[in-house]
Parts: sequence; C-alpha cells; structure tokens
Amino acid sequence: MMKRNPLVLGNKTLKDVSDDICAPVERFPSKGWMGMFLGAKTLLLFYIAILAGVVGVGIGLLGVNSPVFWGTMIVTFVFWIGIGHAGTLISAVLFLFRQKWRTSVARTAEAMTVFAVMTAGIFPLLHTGRPWLDYWLFPYPNQRGPLWVNFRSPLLWDVFAVSTYATVSMVFWYIGLVPDFATIKDRAKNKLRRTIYGALSLGWRGTARNWSHYEMLYLILAGLSTPLVLSVHTIVSFDFAVSNLPGWHTTIFPPYFVAGAIFSGFAMVVTLMTLVRIGFPEFKNYVTLDHMEVMNKIIMTTGMLVGYAYASEFFIAWYSGNQYERFVFVNRAFGPYGWAYWTMVSCNVLIPQLFWFKKLRRSIPVMFVVSIFVNIGMWFERFVITVTSLHRDFLPSSWGMYAWSWFDTGVLVGSFGMFLTLFLLYLRLFPAISIAEIKPVLNVGYDDKGGHH
Amino acid sequence: MSEMHHDHELEMKKALRPEIERDNTYWLSLEQWKDDPEFMKAAETEFQSSPLRGSDEEGGWARREFLKLMGASIAMASAGCIRRPVQKIVPYNKQPEEVTLGIANYYSSAYFDGSEGLGVLVKTREGRPIKIEANPGHPFSVSGLSIRSQASLLNMYDPERLKGPQRNLFNEKKSNSQVVDVKWEELDKKVTEQLKKGDVVVLTGALASPATRAVVGDFTQAFKAKHVVWQAFSNEEVREGQKASYGDDVVPAYRFDKAKMIVSIDADFLGTWIAPTAFTNQFVGGRKDIKNMNRLVSFDSNYSLTGANADIRMKIKPSQQLDVVMGLLHEIIVKKGATSQAGNAAVKSALAPFADVAKKLGVDPALFAKVAADLLANRGESLVVAGGLQTVTEKSKELQIAVNFLNSVLDNDGKTVDHKGGNPALQGSYSDLAALINDMTTGKVKTLIIHGVNPAFVLPAELGFGDAAKKVDMVIYTGDRIDETGVFADYITPDNHALESWSDAELAAGVYTICQPAIRPMYDTRSFQLSLMTWAYIAEQGPSRLRDYETFYDYLRVFWKSDIQPKAGRGQDFEDFWQETLQKGYAGELSKGSGSRSFKVDAFTAIKPAPATEGFELVLYPTAQMGDGSMNNVSWLHELPDPVTKVVWDNYVSVSLATAEKHNLKQASVVELTVAGKTIELPVLIQPGLHDDVLAIAVGFGRTRVGKVGNGIGKNAFALATAKNGAMIFSGQKAEFKKLSKKYELAVTQGHHSMEGRNIVAEATLADYNKNKGAGVHRHHTWNIWSGHEYSGHKWGMAVDLHSCTGCSACVISCQSENNIPVVGKKYVLEGREMHWIRIDRYYTGNPADAEAVFQPVMCQHCDNAPCETVCPVLATVHSDEGLNEMVYNRCVGTRYCANNCPYKVRRFNWFNYAKLIEKPLHMALNPSVGVRVRGVMEKCTFCVQRIQDAKTVARNEKRAVKDGDVKTACQTACPAGGIVFGDLNDPNSQVAKIFKTEERGYALLEEWHAKPSVRYLSKIRNNDKESTGGHNGHGTAKQGEHS
Repeated sequence: MMKRNPLVLGNKTLKDVSDDICAPVERFPSKGWMGMFLGAKTLLLFYIAILAGVVGVGIGLLGVNSPVFWGTMIVTFVFWIGIGHAGTLISAVLFLFRQKWRTSVARTAEAMTVFAVMTAGIFPLLHTGRPWLDYWLFPYPNQRGPLWVNFRSPLLWDVFAVSTYATVSMVFWYIGLVPDFATIKDRAKNKLRRTIYGALSLGWRGTARNWSHYEMLYLILAGLSTPLVLSVHTIVSFDFAVSNLPGWHTTIFPPYFVAGAIFSGFAMVVTLMTLVRIGFPEFKNYVTLDHMEVMNKIIMTTGMLVGYAYASEFFIAWYSGNQYERFVFVNRAFGPYGWAYWTMVSCNVLIPQLFWFKKLRRSIPVMFVVSIFVNIGMWFERFVITVTSLHRDFLPSSWGMYAWSWFDTGVLVGSFGMFLTLFLLYLRLFPAISIAEIKPVLNVGYDDKGGHH
Repeated sequence: MSEMHHDHELEMKKALRPEIERDNTYWLSLEQWKDDPEFMKAAETEFQSSPLRGSDEEGGWARREFLKLMGASIAMASAGCIRRPVQKIVPYNKQPEEVTLGIANYYSSAYFDGSEGLGVLVKTREGRPIKIEANPGHPFSVSGLSIRSQASLLNMYDPERLKGPQRNLFNEKKSNSQVVDVKWEELDKKVTEQLKKGDVVVLTGALASPATRAVVGDFTQAFKAKHVVWQAFSNEEVREGQKASYGDDVVPAYRFDKAKMIVSIDADFLGTWIAPTAFTNQFVGGRKDIKNMNRLVSFDSNYSLTGANADIRMKIKPSQQLDVVMGLLHEIIVKKGATSQAGNAAVKSALAPFADVAKKLGVDPALFAKVAADLLANRGESLVVAGGLQTVTEKSKELQIAVNFLNSVLDNDGKTVDHKGGNPALQGSYSDLAALINDMTTGKVKTLIIHGVNPAFVLPAELGFGDAAKKVDMVIYTGDRIDETGVFADYITPDNHALESWSDAELAAGVYTICQPAIRPMYDTRSFQLSLMTWAYIAEQGPSRLRDYETFYDYLRVFWKSDIQPKAGRGQDFEDFWQETLQKGYAGELSKGSGSRSFKVDAFTAIKPAPATEGFELVLYPTAQMGDGSMNNVSWLHELPDPVTKVVWDNYVSVSLATAEKHNLKQASVVELTVAGKTIELPVLIQPGLHDDVLAIAVGFGRTRVGKVGNGIGKNAFALATAKNGAMIFSGQKAEFKKLSKKYELAVTQGHHSMEGRNIVAEATLADYNKNKGAGVHRHHTWNIWSGHEYSGHKWGMAVDLHSCTGCSACVISCQSENNIPVVGKKYVLEGREMHWIRIDRYYTGNPADAEAVFQPVMCQHCDNAPCETVCPVLATVHSDEGLNEMVYNRCVGTRYCANNCPYKVRRFNWFNYAKLIEKPLHMALNPSVGVRVRGVMEKCTFCVQRIQDAKTVARNEKRAVKDGDVKTACQTACPAGGIVFGDLNDPNSQVAKIFKTEERGYALLEEWHAKPSVRYLSKIRNNDKESTGGHNGHGTAKQGEHS
C-alpha cells in the first residue's frame, strides 16, 4: 500500500491542535493583523461611501450606458459568486467523497464562500435603478392585484438561486463551527468570552447524542449544498444564456460557468491560504504544501476546462453560421476590447500551465502569483462576456463602448474591502481550522513509526 | 372631520336609507326568518364590516379609533422630520370658455425663421402651448414640420428670456454696460424724444408678415426712417442672379414636385436651403411612384442632407461649382447641340473653356454626360438649383447666372422655377447692411431699431458693427435677451414670442396665414409692432392707422380687411373670411406658375472661368438643427444629432478620409484653421465622401451671450466670412490648418457607420426594382413553436418608408416634445446616455471616399415576441392585447435586463433624475398626457399610446369605431416626407395593413431573429442607372450571403 503523506505535520498532540488553532482567537491581535484590518476597513468605508453615492445620485455614476446596460456591478457580482464555489465544493462535495485532506482548508474555504456571497449579494441589489424597490423581485403576497413576479425571467431565478445559496452555505458553515465554539468557550478565561462563545455554541456539551445529531445534520447539509455547487452558477449563467444576445445565448454557459467558478474559487482559496500561512505560521502544519498542491492541481484542471470552453465557443460561433454570433466572437478577440480577451486567456489558460511542474505547484510564491493572475483573469472573463457581447450587437448604429468611470474602480476595489474586512474578522474571532475535524486525521494511532503516545 | 360630525352624518344617512319592506319569501338565515331583533340590528348596517361602523360597543378598539391612534403615532414619529409643504391646488375659478381640462386645443399659426416658413398648429393644454403640430393641407408646407419650428416652443419657455424692458447704462464711450429694469412709459418717452430727432433706421430680418411690413412701412413714413432688411441667410445670391439674368429682384419659388430631374449644386434644399420642409415634401412627393420617380443629382462640397439623399452624389469643392454648371451647359449646348442657344456663337465661346469639366472634377465623363442628357430629356420638367452659404463665393453671382441660364435653356423657367410664387419676405441684403454700418460709422444714423436679427454675432469683425453701433445715439433692440447685439443697445424692448402675439405671414406669394397667440405674454414684453405703433402714437406722427389702434390685433384686422381680403377673400364677408382663415390656418393659394422670362444672355457670356485653385477651400454651411444660431439656447437643438454626421453639442471641421490620413488627423484632433488671417480652433471630424480639398464648418455655433445652454458650444464660424467690396464671401476661401497637440472629444450618437454587411437598410436601384419589387430585401424562413399572442381588437403597427425618409430628423424633435424626453448634455451623450425614443440611423455604403448614405429611423419595434418582456423580473414591460409593448414605469425597478435583450437597442434608461432638473418655466412645455420619468426606470417609444387613448375616447364619445387615420403618432405628424404610416393592422382597409400585406418592399428589421416587430421598413430605391447599388465593396445590402 502506498504511504500517504501525513495531513498534519509536526507530530501534534491533541492539545497542540487545540492550542494552535485557538491561539489567534485568544491572543492579542498581532500588528500584522491590525495593519491589514485597518487597511481593509478603510477600504470598506470607502466602498460604503461609493455605494451611498451610487444609490443617492444614480446608477449613472458608473460606466453603464446604452448599449452596455450591465457593467462593473454585474461583472463583479458574477466574479464573487464564482469565488464562493470553491468553498462549497471543498466543504460539501469533498466531505461526501470522504476526502480527508479537505479538513484543514474546509472551514476557511467555507468562510470565504459566505463572505464572497455576501459581497456578491450587494451588487444585484444596488445595480438596479431603484434599489429601494428591490423587494419587488421577491414573490410575496401583496395588494397590487396581487401582482406577481415574472417567473420566466432568469433574473428571478437568480434571486432564488443566490438567496438559497447564501442561506444554505451560511447554515452549513455555522453548524460546522458549533463544536469548536464550545471548545473556545471551555478554554475561555473570562466571563464575557465564555458567554458569547457559549451562546454561539448553542449549548454544545460534546455528548454522544450531540455528536450523533451533529454528524447527521452535517451530512444532510453537505448533501443539500452539493447540488448548489452546480445549480447556483448554472442559474447565474442563465442570466446570460437565456437572453437572445449573441455572445450570451450559448448552451455551453452552465458547465462553463461552473468550471470557471470552481477555478476562480480555488484560486482565491490558494491566495487566502498562502496569506494565512504567512499571517499565522502555526497553521503551516495544518495547511501543508500537500494541501496547496492538491488545490493547484484542481486549478490547472479547471483552467484547462475553461480553456476548452473558450475554444468551443469560438468553434460553435463559426459552426453556427450565424453572422451576429460570428461577429461577436471575432470582435471579442480582435475588437476594441481585444486586450481584455487576451488578458483573460493568458491569465486563465496559459499561466496555470506552470502547475505542470511539481516544483512550481509546490512553491508558495509561485502559486500566490498564479492565483492572483487567475483571479484577475476570471474577473476579465466576466467582463469579456458581459461587456464585449453588449457593446456591439445587432445594429451597428447602436454600438458603443463601456464608459468606465472612477466609480467603477471604486466599486470593484471597494468590494475587496468588504470581503477582506469580513475575512480578517473571521480569522480573528473564529477558529480558522476545524479543531473537531482535524483531530481525527492526526496520525495518532496509526503512525507506522510507533508514535510517541 | 370630527367624530361628532361623523355620527351626525351617519344618522342622516340612515334616515335617508329606504325602508326595506319585510318580505319573508327570501331569507338569509333562520334568524331573519324569525325576525330576530339582534339580526335586524345587524342588518341595518349595510355591510357586515363597514369601515363606517360606529365605535364598537363591545369594547376594544374600533377601526376608526385604531386609525386615529395610528395616525397620531405616525405624526409623532415624523414630527422630527421635515414636513412636507402644504400645497393646495385650485381648479379654474372661472373656467375659460374654450378650455376643457385634459383636452388639447389647437390654434392655427405660422412659423417663419427668416428663410423657411411653415403653416403650423399650436397644441395647447390648459392654456399653455405644449407642442407645434403640422397644419396638414397648408398649400405651402403641406405636411410635416422642421426641426426648429418645433423647437421654437422651447424658446418661448427659455428661462433666460428677458422679463421686461431694459436700459443699458453706458458710459459716454459705451465701453461698459450695466443693465437695469426700466418702465415701458419711461422708455417710450425717451425713445419718442429721440425718434423725433430724425435719422432713424429700422433694421429687421426678413419679415414674412405683410401686416408687420405695413407697420414698418407706416413707421418709416412717420419718422422718415429707413428700413433695412438683412438676414444671416439672406438668399441675396439668388436674388442677385435673378436680377442679372432676368431683371427680377426675387427669390423664385422652386417646384421640386414638378421636376423629374433635379440637379443641385450645393443647394441643400432638403436640409437648410430656403424652405427645406416644403421642399422635402415636394421632392419626396415626386418619388413615391417609384417607377416614375424623379432623379436627384447632387454636386456636394459638404456632405449635406441633399447629397445624402441624392441618387447620384458627386463631391466637389466650392471653386468647382461654376465649372459643374458650365460643364453641363457645354454638354447640352456644345456637345449635343441642343436647345435654342445651340447656334449662339457668343454662348459657345463662353462655354469653350469648360469642355473637360468631368475630368477636372474627377468624375466619370460618361456619368457627367448622362446627367446633362437626363436634364435635356426632361426639358421643362427638370430643375437646377444652387444656393446657400456653400455657394456664396467670389463667383456666386456667376454661378447663379449660369444656373438660371441652364434652367432657361431647359425651359424650366416658368415651370419648375416660378418667379412669381416665391416668398416675398426674402429680401435680406448684406450690401444694404454694409451701407447701413457705413452710415452709422459716419454718424448719419441717430436712432437704430434692430428687430429679429443678431448682426453682432453673425457679421465678421471687419464690418465693424460694434464700433459703428457705439456711434449711434440710441440703439433699440427688440431681442428677447441681452445677446451679442443686445449689449450694444441702449434700450432693449423685448418682443413677444411668436406664440404670444398676433401676427400674419405670407409664406409663398399669395398664401396668407394668421398667427394666433396661443398664450398670454408670459412676461412684461411688448410686440415689436405695438412698440412702433406706441411710439408713433406718442410722437403723434405717421398715418392714422398706425396711431389709432391700441393693439396690433386691431391693426392686423384692419390691414387684412383692406389689403389681404381683396386678394384672398374670394368675395366673402370679412368676418367669415377672418374666421375661416383662423380655422383653416391659411387663405389664398400657391401661384399657378408664371410664364418664362427672357434671359439676358449678355450676363451669361461675360462669365469667365475661375483660375484653377490649389490647397484647401473653406466651406461654411448651416445645419438643419441650428440654422443661424438664433435659437442656440434651446437644448433640444444641441442634443439633436446632426442629420448627417450624428454629432451633438459641437461644430467641427469636416475633412476627408484621405486628408485626415495625409495630415495624421484623428477624430479627436484639434486644428487651428487660418482663413484670410483669421484663425479658429476646432476639433476634426473625418467625413466620408468629402472632397479632399474641402474644410467644412457649420455656422450657428459659438454664441457667447445666448444663455446657459448655448454659450460656448462650438465656435462661431460666421467669423470666418469675409466682406469684400460690400459683398460677402462665405465659402471657397483659401484655408490652411495646423494640427495642434490638443485633443477634443466630439460626442457622436452613432460611432459606427457601416452596416457590416448586415441586412439592415434594404436598398436597391431602380433597375433592380423594375425587375423585382422586393429587390434588396433578404427574406428568411421563420417559424414558431408557440401560437403567439391573440389580438382580437386593435393591433397597432407602423410602416416606415426608407425610400421617403430623408433623415431630416423632424420626427426626433416631435417625439421629444410629445413625450417629455429629457436632454442629457454632451458629457452624457459621450457616455452613451442620450434619451431619444426615436433615432435616425445613418449608414454609409460603398467606397468610403465616395460614400453614399442611407437613413433609417428606429423606434421601439413593439415586437410580438418581444425579447424584453420575457426577461423583466417584475413584469414592468408587458404585452398589451393591442400589440403594444408597454412600459410600466411605476413597476420598473431598473434591472435594465430588457435593454440588454433588445436587439434594436431602443430602450432608454433614466440614469439620473433628469425630470428633476427641468428648470422653470420649461416645465410648462411638458405634455401633461405623458408622465415624466423618475430616475432608475426604463423608457422607450410607446407608439404614442396617449394619442391612441385620445382617439379611442373621441371615437367612443362619437359612438363609432376608431377609424384609420384617427391615430397619428408624433413622429408621423412631423414627417414632411410622409414616410411614417401608423394604424390598425386588424383593420384590413387601413393604410398600414395594406402596406404590411401587399408592399413588396416591406421587411422587418432583423427578421431572422424572429422578434416579430410591429414595424415594417420599406426598402430604399436609388434611381441611378446602376444595378444592385449595394453590390460594391461588400458594404451593401442587395447581395447578402445566406445566413441563419
């Protein structure tokens, strides 16, 4: 039998595990964390100001126009929703497939999902012309007839998909946290901490009944989350695919979007995990290079999947014989937004090819840089789909360009402020690795060297 | 309402309620059957749970109590907030006789802008004019409107109009200016004192009003004053030519409707020359019968609207204008030996130098010969025209003489050129004005009254109008603002707006119109005529009719009784004549044609060829939207895309593609242009189809004192004109330019000019059409998997004839006026946020150096399978059972998904709260039948649903069905070409249904996409002897590859 690398390094004892993982929550925040948090928070405040401006004055502050009626907000929405997918994939799908290596990254990936979905959720709400009437998108009993929503509109499906996804992933994440909250409560040295974490742990006592119920619930939630990995981005892709715009109206979109989402999500996990490893060196034993390497392999695989999708789109555009479709794709690559297209192709298809080399996919600096490129590339992928399809459609008379304004920059950059603020708070307040799940995967008991226990 | 009061009311109501007779045949319950007292008590109140029920005796809160408390708590909760102001609305205290709330009144009137005249109807609602409509059937303008006639409405509501008379407190040297309000009485006294000193000159624009001409005549008689007429677009060159050729100082009537072959040498008669709206009507009228359609050949030194609509367009430069006409004459007289002049040796020798004109012009000699042959073949039914600023060169008089000679030898004089039928108002003269300025400078003018013109803006610096004005003791200006000329005036006596005052108009000889006021003067203004009358009255000078009447209205009636009725009254009683004229909007009829005149051949034989020129030549041209710039503060005009270039909010130098390439000019480049020592800095527009040696600039821009909207928009190109020996030269001057390192973004509403080989504007040549009426239209097999909507009542549809459409853009302004469409400004047009519900797409076809143009108005297509409807998550855009694609503003959340999914991109979004920015009193121009839209909602063409509703209401009141023609959309009524037909497709006899069913030129835009639009376009036919216009260079439409 092949010997597998241990999932946790450093010959940790059970106590070591608890100590290590609880440390960031229990000790005074480091200067590094403080600095990052202040930066992220400032960005968040800036973001809030930008959004307040957009809501107060009008969506016209952004570059959206005729013919490009959707812009940065939708692009960034799809970007963040996509990011979320890796979390669900790692925590739910890999859980069901009993992939033990997921344990040390699952919590953080799941947190990333929740925050990414929160960040993303802002956009469809605020990109409407009259955000204060967004509740009209929900089918609720009303006195206007009653006037219902249009169940034929993909945008409505989107509302359901995203809200379901947000709810399920948040519950799933929280349930997984419950035993660890109890651990922190038990270790707490002051009353306030005990009370808060006690409340958060929902009265967890670690009894066999608790564990039995917990594991059943976790399994069910994992089961519930799994189809969401496929459905959410499928439905997000319907926003485009169900329309009749050349460049949007393509059957390949659902699998292509899902692959892209997983691709970008894993890239973001890698980005964050490399940062976590730097920020909290004790986590290096839990989030090992083996973990990173596995994720890099997934990045490379999904990167090639999206590459295939790009090629396939072009082929189908030619094969369809539809002049509008053909034009859109030629225009995508060689039109005024060609630079965006080639940025996308290089970042998403070419750069991840570096991971064919074992040395590179195990190098923290290399993977950090690659993951950043993939994130850039995936943002551009959505930009290319949204903007370049819209900017030149059927009648050449209505062709135009997106009128990028600094509010667009503000929205895009600011959204990272929101995400990072939430993520840094999470690192500080929640156990970033599942204590309860990491302990069973320690090498304790089946260490072939005989172990020290 | 107090509780007590309420109880009392309830009692009263109970008392009034009829006693219900007890009848036990039908019973509600056993209790009723038994006459149970408790049931009877309950039954007394009509409804079991009426909100009017009194307080609940059983205790607890009755509904009213609850509401009261809730109201109180809301009041308390909001006490800390800003209170909404109490605003009371009061209905008419005394309802005016003619006004019914919600019903529009129409008053017949006329519009005249110094060159073009139109019979119009002024639509008013609740006493305020809200739209200018065409007066269908007016003998001169027939149908349709111009851009500016419609925009004149907004000019009246201009917030920057003067609110009363002003006095300028000049120092002695008139170098400063401080303006103060003045009372009319005081002003009249001062002015009258001054007038009595003599040396009075009245400077007016062209006066289309016979009564005003009479008032001015009486006034000049009263004060021994001189009357000088001058207009920026004076048409002086035409009159000079007529005078030299025939001895008549007139601008003749041109009858494009009678011409089968039209040659225009830079006369932009479809866009800006003399009366383009009427000319468009006449011209298109001659094309509707396609098999016998007329032919238009245009020699164009700017890319004019006329050139864009020509069957054959040839680019020239101004110095070649004369060559063209002489060349045509050479072809006809010398080469073909035709016409009565063929034996005239003097003529032949004058034509001798023009033997190789085609070669000189760089055009195909065969084509040029064909043009001459066509002219000859259509003798008496052809028309050659030249005129406008583009032709006011050093050789403009020779050009006009040559044109007149050509018309004469072709026997067109008296047929298509009717010297008795023209507009007698067109008497403006630059040389008269130059003489006046001379008089002013030498102190021969003590008082100058300026009315209706803005010489300080238009005249080039060397004429020295400003300095001359300072030497006049008193300058009185009747303008509505202190503009470029106004600053030189001692007194400004603001004239009423045309919509505020009585007047009349003679738009073509013998056709009279009365202009009725549609609103009481908004401010303390006084009509120019009444001012003159008042001064004569105070001075006690002049004929009695000038002094006797208190209002110009009285003068007008007396004048009409004495002067107009005998000419146009057909022996009617005056009151009847007056009433009928008011109702119809006109009296009299067009000239029936005049005999041919003898041509003074001497004038022609004196023509010498111009020496060949090299280098760039300047072309100054007016635009259809801006004209001479007098309405420059009207935002509609600035935001209306130029019909040809589609640029808004600027003027620019147009250069050809080759010139741009040669001099490394880009669209955003800025050049410094030098013309005869004057320089001007302007951005560059690269114009396909322009002569390589031409630098073309539009006039009417660059005003400095017109108001917030127009100040500093573009540059004043009038300044480049040169005054030489009392005559003006606008075009053909030598020009040079230097590329600057600056950049200047031009806002263009259409940035892409090629159809990319798509079947968008179907176009065919007459030869194609004669073989196959559907030539150029690419049809697709489409099918449905569902049955589609059912339209059991009406089904509205529209047909747009691209063969008729000249791209004049009157429909765009009409739609803007009708539907309260906001103006967004240059910054936002650059960002792609223009709001027009109807746009006119202009595509160039063919070789870019000689590009031909096609136009296509695009509005919401009201698709049966509307892509927008399915994607709106909140059902804010829905399909009506009459086939309308309805936009429910109130429900719209603003996801903009509908606009993304619209293949025609006709949806417009309120990116900001535009309606809130409407400055008072501009809000009075809003159409109350159409809501203004708040920010964040989508809007688009509604097929004028309010007009459909009105027509239905009228039909219902008259107990009849809506009949064809009851509903006319705003774009339709404004179209001078009759290119838009609207109606009910379910009515098999409606015009539009017939077009849908039988017209072989009809096609749906993007038919293969199968949105099933309710709009059909009819293909454009070009009468140019070729086959398959569209074939060349792959830009065309006639030959398309098979697709989808």
